[in-house]
Amino acid sequence: MEQVIFYIFAAVLLFAGAMVITVRNPVHAALFLVLAFFNAAILWVLAGAEFLGIALVVIYVGAVMVLFLFVLMMLDINVAPLREGFARYLPVGALVAALMAAQLGGVILAEQAGLTGGMIPAPSGETNNIQVLGALLYTAYVYPFEIAGAILLVAIVAAIALTLRPVQRGRYQRIGEQLATSKRERLRIVKMKPRGGGAEQ
Amino acid sequence: MRPLSEYLQGFLLVELLRGMRLTGRHLFRRSVTLEFPEERAPKSPRFRGHLALRRYPNGEERCIACKLCEAVCPALAITIDSYQRQDGTRRTSRYDIDMFKCIYCGLCEESCPVDSIVLTRVDLFHMEDASERVIDKQGLLEMGDRHEAQIAADRAADAPYR
Amino acid sequence: MFETLFWQVAKIWAVLIPLFLAVAYFTYAERRVIGHMQDRRGPNRVGYRGLLQPIADALKLLFKEITIPTQANRALFVIAPTMAIMPSLAAWAVIPFDQGWAIADINAGLLYILAMTSLGVYGLLLAGWASNSKYALLGTLRSAAQIISYEIAMGFALVGVLMAAGTMSLTGIVEAQAGPVWNWFWLPLLPLFLVYWIAGVAETNRAPFDVAEGESEIVAGFHVEYSGMAFAVFFLAEYANMLLISVIAATLFLGGWYSPVAGLPVLGPALAWVPGVVWLVLKAAIFAFCYLWFRATFPRYRYDQIMRLGWKVLIPVTVVWLVVLTGFAYTGLGPWF
Repeated sequence: MEQVIFYIFAAVLLFAGAMVITVRNPVHAALFLVLAFFNAAILWVLAGAEFLGIALVVIYVGAVMVLFLFVLMMLDINVAPLREGFARYLPVGALVAALMAAQLGGVILAEQAGLTGGMIPAPSGETNNIQVLGALLYTAYVYPFEIAGAILLVAIVAAIALTLRPVQRGRYQRIGEQLATSKRERLRIVKMKPRGGGAEQ
Repeated sequence: MRPLSEYLQGFLLVELLRGMRLTGRHLFRRSVTLEFPEERAPKSPRFRGHLALRRYPNGEERCIACKLCEAVCPALAITIDSYQRQDGTRRTSRYDIDMFKCIYCGLCEESCPVDSIVLTRVDLFHMEDASERVIDKQGLLEMGDRHEAQIAADRAADAPYR
Repeated sequence: MFETLFWQVAKIWAVLIPLFLAVAYFTYAERRVIGHMQDRRGPNRVGYRGLLQPIADALKLLFKEITIPTQANRALFVIAPTMAIMPSLAAWAVIPFDQGWAIADINAGLLYILAMTSLGVYGLLLAGWASNSKYALLGTLRSAAQIISYEIAMGFALVGVLMAAGTMSLTGIVEAQAGPVWNWFWLPLLPLFLVYWIAGVAETNRAPFDVAEGESEIVAGFHVEYSGMAFAVFFLAEYANMLLISVIAATLFLGGWYSPVAGLPVLGPALAWVPGVVWLVLKAAIFAFCYLWFRATFPRYRYDQIMRLGWKVLIPVTVVWLVVLTGFAYTGLGPWF
């Protein structure tokens, strides 16, 4: 049963992956990528890595791809010019593809040949894999983990620094001040006596 | 620098809670809606609704075809033709009001020397065909006959102020 | 095998049918409650006190024509409503309605909910883009940016719950709050509770964060071009999401199925006969009512104010409180019991 489910989702994953690079409309391509991510997440959950699977959905599908789509919708890319240099870029693309295939093959064949460094722990039946992951990240892999965090922080600061403009001189809204105003500063209630005795005419 | 109390108020959502208290109180207040067909808003005796022509108590029509209303009507909604009746009085042979043109200003009623053309309280009426918009003398008199009691009462109520 | 399949499907329907009914009557409650808050009466003509109004509305929408704009991207235009409602229904799978009453009690329940609520944005994105209408696109961009921003604050608030409970399973989180009112997480996690609630209102695009729909500026936002049943599905998704956020708030912060007097000497046993699901529904109803109350009370936020609140207020508040929580946990001075 699980085999059947696996093959169904794997087939959808491959189909979606193929569509990402063949479909013409960039928005459609991004949506197929979402589908691919989603199916990959399902395969991970099937393999027992529920934390990774759901994290993939939260991060890639829920945040990264939304921003991607956001940009694609804003840009309205014309596809035709993008396809022009296909033959020219083919060798580079083929090289990258071959390299990736070789790497993947290396990992798979290494396990076949018994060359694993004992890096991959065998999934044990009833362990809560969130707890196991947490324990590993904060003990054995604490330095890589923290360094990754620091790199991301640097990246965020860099991105903000790049887009930060000097304070413009024009008129702009100071939201803090706007929110901090009180009725006293903006509104003056004037009490006036009604004129005459109401018998003017 | 804002005073600390303002920060505190901001974080404790004081203003939001104050707003919610207001709407919360209104939740339990009587609603002001009128359930239309069953409930009606009270009307003033001066209400200016559908037009009508009145008669004297003896059944004689009041209108003497002086055409003051036709002259004063700002929307040119009134059309009058007159003739001399057997008894020598002047009467209208035609008294048409175009209800699409009428703006219910009440000037015709003000100008009428014999209180013949009046605006009734009736504000709910409709036509199914555009040609029905012109109401002739017959229709206006019928309207007056139907609502005479109400019309007379309204005029009596308003009399001390005129 | 078929028997288990049958029971699974039966369980799903046992959740979905009450959910659809709740959504229908939530729209009715909204119109009545907001009506009374504005000194009006709200719908009261269809059936006794207007109780059949939601059914009349549903029938009306069902029989209306679904128009598809000629310039729209047909396939995506049709898929979008489904994409909107799918995650808002799927998330109910992990909600524990009572001890052991969940369709799927998975370990990563909290993460799953976060994943599902973040998927809801695709419905809006697709609807807005596929409609090929400027208002729809504007609404889409606004809501997408808003949902992504508030998801961070919401996620952080959930991390606080996770730290307090020590588990990601929703059943485990509720069990960690066993006891009367003051044992529930709303007290030690009060700032996170408020942040979660505000972020929840923003995530569902409800007033005062409803710039995505902004009737007065961009007509109806992402679903301007939708009519009939397609529109109804968006409507359903929005209200199902609101109920979902309410139920999650009740589960995470108000002790889920526990009665407010559980474990007390006299009152506890006296109210022990009330089933847990009743308590959960009552607690969720408080939040659902607040949604309506907010809508009747607050004016719409301006877009930049929404972004400021999300990034400059809510996220720092949650981070600070997480540090405080870590301190409590490290020193063993747990604010939870």
